[in-house]
Amino acid sequence: MEWTFRVANIAAGICLAVFSGLVHADDAAANLALPTAASFYAKDFQSLKSHGFDPQPVGSRPYLLATNEDDALLGGPGVTTASSGTGFKPPWMSGRKAHQYLGLSTVALAGLTMLAAPDDAEGASQTAPRQTSGTTHTRLARATAAMAVATVMTGLIYHWDDIHWEDPFTDPDKMHARLAAAGALMMLYAVNKSAHSSVPTSHSGVAELGAAAMLVAIKLTW
Amino acid sequence: MMQTKSKVAALLAIALSVSCACALAEEDFMDWLLTFQRQKNVKPVTDKLYQEECGGCHFAYQPGLLPAKSWEVLLNAKALRKHFGVNAELDEDTLKFIHDYAVENAADKSWYKRSRKIAVATEDGPTPLRITELRYISRKHQVIPEKMIKGNKGVKSLSFCDKCHTQAEQGVYDADTVNIPNYPNWDGWFNK
Repeated sequence: MEWTFRVANIAAGICLAVFSGLVHADDAAANLALPTAASFYAKDFQSLKSHGFDPQPVGSRPYLLATNEDDALLGGPGVTTASSGTGFKPPWMSGRKAHQYLGLSTVALAGLTMLAAPDDAEGASQTAPRQTSGTTHTRLARATAAMAVATVMTGLIYHWDDIHWEDPFTDPDKMHARLAAAGALMMLYAVNKSAHSSVPTSHSGVAELGAAAMLVAIKLTW
Repeated sequence: MMQTKSKVAALLAIALSVSCACALAEEDFMDWLLTFQRQKNVKPVTDKLYQEECGGCHFAYQPGLLPAKSWEVLLNAKALRKHFGVNAELDEDTLKFIHDYAVENAADKSWYKRSRKIAVATEDGPTPLRITELRYISRKHQVIPEKMIKGNKGVKSLSFCDKCHTQAEQGVYDADTVNIPNYPNWDGWFNK
């Protein structure tokens, strides 16, 4: 019971640290309001409408698409563009990077959890009640599940604009999101199933499948 | 003990199946599968001639930004005579080389993530002729107000990828590497 409390505190601490880091990295508080309409894409939608902006993106040409204007493209030989990024350094940490590191950490923790699993033969010989908390395996498993949830949450917040209904089923970002979410759910299910069982219960298959799903999800967008 | 053996056997079976599938799959897929190198963006231009000929007039757009069918339409003698309003004719050998390079490295031939996104989104429908017309590209830029692009003397047009994407030449188009001239530290909807 005490360990459950500690693990819950650690998980809460991780989540708080992650969000604090993200806020610090972005130098602004994260606006968690999710987009509700296509108008969300435009920062100043009213002014865009007055310029003839059509919020229907499919098959149309949104107002600010480069139309290969004469002054933009008629450079001619020898007139090349120069990047203005000289001296610019990408931030060492950002919401997107935090999502990436959380995902990798989840897979690493899942591997450690698998390695720390108690031996089957040893478990069978035990007469004492089954331990559902307090062991290295259970602590790691709960931390992995918490990390998986944090990964999915940061993905939703920082990559929401990479996933669209109109994109095909095989879109890499869509597959990444589906697999990662399924992986996290499987890990949560495995932890929950094992934690609420007083007798040895098979949960490793689901957990390992979840970790594998997350690994494949990472590879798809790596 | 028995369960552990079954697991090892299952893992071996999976590894074998994957190996067989890889052997059957194309070489590029194997490269993508087995590399730890990041392939999240677009394959950078590696050919000097392509870089010199295309980059002589505009940013040398990576072939992975358009599908092969687009390069087929864009890179032929007739089309280059009126290449977006400009005569960009090339001699026959150079044109063939650039055409082949673009087609071989086009979005639908690449395993880089952004190229795959472009490829699956352009499988059906009309052949896109401008990168900025791609649904994926236009959607990613819709969050940026007009004043930051057309109204920005440091940018002027979305066509100048490298004005804001500081690592565009390396094929990196991550949001974290964006630095819009005259609007430093702007980060999309988080700055609303």
